[in-house]
Parts: sequence; structure tokens; C-alpha cells
Amino acid sequence: MAISLEYVVKETSGNLWRNRLMSLAAVLTISVSLALAGAALLLKQGVSTATSQWKGGVQLLIFMQPNATAAQTNAVSSQLKSLPEIKSYFYMDQSKSYQEFKQLMANSPELVKSVTESQIPPSFRVVLKNPNDAPSVGSLFQQQVGVKDVNFNRGAINTMLHVTSIVQFVIVALAVVLLISASVLILNVIRVAIFSRRREVAVMKLVGATNWFIRIPFMLEGLVQGLVGAIVAAAAVVGIQSLFHYVVSHFQVTVLSNFLVSSHDVVMTELFVVAMGIIVGTAGSAFAVRRYLEV
Amino acid sequence: MIKVENVYKRYKEDQYALVDCSLEIDRGEFVFVVGASGSGKSTLLRVLLREERPDTGQVWVAGKELSSMPGWKVPFFRRNIGAIFQDFRLLPNKTVFGNVAFALEVIGKSKRHIMNHVPQMLELVGLHDKQDRFPDELSGGEQQRVAIARAFINRPLILLADEPTGNLDPENSWSVMGLLERINRTGTTVLMATHDVGIVDSMRRRVIELDHGQIKRDQTRGVYGLGQQTS
Repeated sequence: MAISLEYVVKETSGNLWRNRLMSLAAVLTISVSLALAGAALLLKQGVSTATSQWKGGVQLLIFMQPNATAAQTNAVSSQLKSLPEIKSYFYMDQSKSYQEFKQLMANSPELVKSVTESQIPPSFRVVLKNPNDAPSVGSLFQQQVGVKDVNFNRGAINTMLHVTSIVQFVIVALAVVLLISASVLILNVIRVAIFSRRREVAVMKLVGATNWFIRIPFMLEGLVQGLVGAIVAAAAVVGIQSLFHYVVSHFQVTVLSNFLVSSHDVVMTELFVVAMGIIVGTAGSAFAVRRYLEV
Repeated sequence: MIKVENVYKRYKEDQYALVDCSLEIDRGEFVFVVGASGSGKSTLLRVLLREERPDTGQVWVAGKELSSMPGWKVPFFRRNIGAIFQDFRLLPNKTVFGNVAFALEVIGKSKRHIMNHVPQMLELVGLHDKQDRFPDELSGGEQQRVAIARAFINRPLILLADEPTGNLDPENSWSVMGLLERINRTGTTVLMATHDVGIVDSMRRRVIELDHGQIKRDQTRGVYGLGQQTS
């Protein structure tokens, strides 16, 4: 079965132009919902960046004295490096720890006010090869000079991770709902296009057009709408992201800086947005064609 | 060319459109199907076009058995069948040329093929000077001739006509009949459902009469009614 490219392009653009208002509505809905979905995903990335110091299964915290010397800190660091039981570790200095403290205690501002940065202990966050080693490894540092406390109780950490995972779940659920509504709208636009061209479709069937020949222009119509909507949404996501960057850097909102996402995350989100636009457009129109074209 | 065997078709419970219909039409025949409204003429034509499947019975058209034909084969089957209707079924947003060319476009014919064959076909139906007009700028008779051009452009083996003169004045009806006769003379089987007594009576072709879905009469060189019928 030969379907000429020229025919398909002509039919698809003709359809889009004839129903231009409906097409515009579909494109706008897709772009709004995909922009929201993309922004939600970036927010999710931001949340996970902000909580990443808890990620990777930190099992052991070694709090240093707030006034520990650099030599004492280095001694702990090099000892950590030499231990075979340790998979990885990183050092949270005072200013980072203070910010984390402010975030964790955001609901009790008077407590935050009463504590200054210099009172906050810096800490080593340690990931072990085997979590069961935590007590024995911890006891090595308990008595070390400059160490304030060793903590391998994960309760507090777990609570925080739990809360953020709920937030992320809600955001993703919202994005899914928006995408479903976008598909339904595309479905409706294609339905209208099909209904307005019933006569033509009947004639096509009469003269022996194959089902795919009839379907392809309609499906392509949905694809184009999805793609254009996604490109607009992708631009909006970049806009939102750079606005956020601007606010953070210009007004020195350091609390938010933890939420900044990498350009890699942005690129991945954009790819996701465009892919979803294509999928939503094609799936919506494919369903509409099956449902309403009766071919 | 067409063979219908014991075909039943009903749309609702105890409302039969076709009852035990059997008939056979040879290549190159010209056959009228007559009968009152609701006698099953249109259903018969729809079954032959595979727009409907019979409930029981078998239907062979152009060498294909239709009741067991899978849906994806239907478009290819229809390319061998031309069909025209009382309401013409032209596309209002395409020109005369565009309407005829459409039948070739949808089956993937090349532009060159279209440019060669469409003007030739329009010449045959006498509309070559109106190829850039739109259907609503034409008279009913001209529109039906465009529909005939579209139906015949693929040189189908069979032409099915469902009351093609139903909306036309006598003069236009005769020009349409003239075309159908010419098409029939090329060897194409023509099956025409009609109410038009004058045409049936003067053409003296085979007549099949349907009454409440049953074949009541099948007569070579017949007339519309047997004297008792008025219309």
C-alpha cells in the first residue's frame, strides 16, 4: 500500500488549518499540562537534590565539636579513608549543616533563631559496606579528640526521607492527572475533526481506501498537536527554571539554593516533556480514530 | 460475476430486510432491481458492497466470498466495484477534477497516472469544460455524472447504482442512463436499484423485483410492474 508523503502532509495540514481553533485549544492544553508536569518534575528533582545528603544510605554520623581544629577533622577523615568497612563518606561543614538544620527546623523559627552557625557541629556522613558494622565502626571514633558524638540511629533520617517521598509522590500524581486530561482533550479534538469529515471518510471507504490510509492523517494531526504543545511546554519549563535561578542568585535566597537542579536534570526533563507530548498526542488520536472512525 | 445464495439479513428482531435471497448475475449484464421503499433494494446493494454482512447465506462478488471476508481485505475488494447513489456523495470542498482524482489518490496512484486518466474520464461524461467547478455549482445531473466518473475511473468490474436518477429530472435521468449503458457496453456489469418506471420500461433489461425482502420476480427483458403496479 503506497501512501504518498505529499498526500499525508497535505491532508494533515489541511485538517489542522480547518479546525485551527480546536487545534490551538489542544496545543495550549498540552503545553500547560506538560509545563506543569515538567515543573513538577523539576521540583521533584529539587527536593531530591535538597535531601540528597540523606540519600545513598547514610548509616553513620560522626559529629565533630563545633570548635574542632582542622587537624582533628583531617585525622578523622584520613582514618575513615583507611577503613575497609567504609564504602563512602562525605563531610558537611558548618555552613551546610546550619542550612540543613534551618530546613529541618523550619517549623520552629524560635529554635532556629536561638542557635547560631558557630554552634552547629559539622559532621561526617558515612556509608558502610555492611550496615551492621555501624556500632563497631562508630565505637572507633567515639573517644577520638574533636569528636562530639557518633550517631547510628537512623530514625530521624528515615522520617525525613519518608516525608519527602510523600511530597514527590503527590507531585508525580498531579503530573499524571494533567497528562491524562491532555490526552482526553486531544481525543476530543480528533473526534471533532473526524465528525466534521464523516462524508469524506465515507467516500474514502467507498472508493477502497485502506484503513491506515484514512487513519494516518488523523493520527499525524494528534502527533503534531502533541509535539507543538510539548515544545511550548519545554520552553516554559526552561523559563521557569531560569526565573528560579535568577530569584535565588539575585535575592540571595540561600535556603532555596539547595533546590537548584543541574542542567542535566533540566535536559532530561525537557526530553521527558517532548516525549510525553508525542506519546499523548499519538495515543489520544489513535484511540479517537479507533473509537470514532469505525474503520 | 455476482452470486447471492440464501441470504437473510435483518436489522431488528422480526424485521427482515432480506429473506432467503438467491440470485445470479453474469458478467456484462445490466440488471434493474425494483420494489417499493423498504423492500430491501438498498440492503441488497449494501450487502454487495460489503457495507453490511448477511446474517446467513453467502455472497460472491467479483470472485470473492463476502460474508467471510476479513475487514482488512474489504478496501481492496471495493476497488473492483464502482458505486453511485441518489445523493451523489461528492466532496463539496473538492473540484470536479479533485473529486474524480480522489478515487485514484486514495488507492495510491501516481500524480502522472491521475493527470492522464482524470481528464479522459471527464471527457467521457461530458464535463471536461467544468473540471474546476465545485459540486454546488453544478446541476444535479452534472453532479451525478461526476459521481459516475469517480465510480468508473478504476474501470471496475461491477457498477452498483442505488437510485441514481432519484433526484434528477427526466432529461438528466436519461443522460445518466445513457452513460450507464455506455459503461455496460464496455463489459462492466451494472446493477441498478430504481423506482423509475419510465426508465425500466423503456430499457427492457433484466428486472429483479423485491417485495418485503423476498425476490418476487426475476425476468429477462422485463418491465417495472406487471401492469398492476403504479408508482
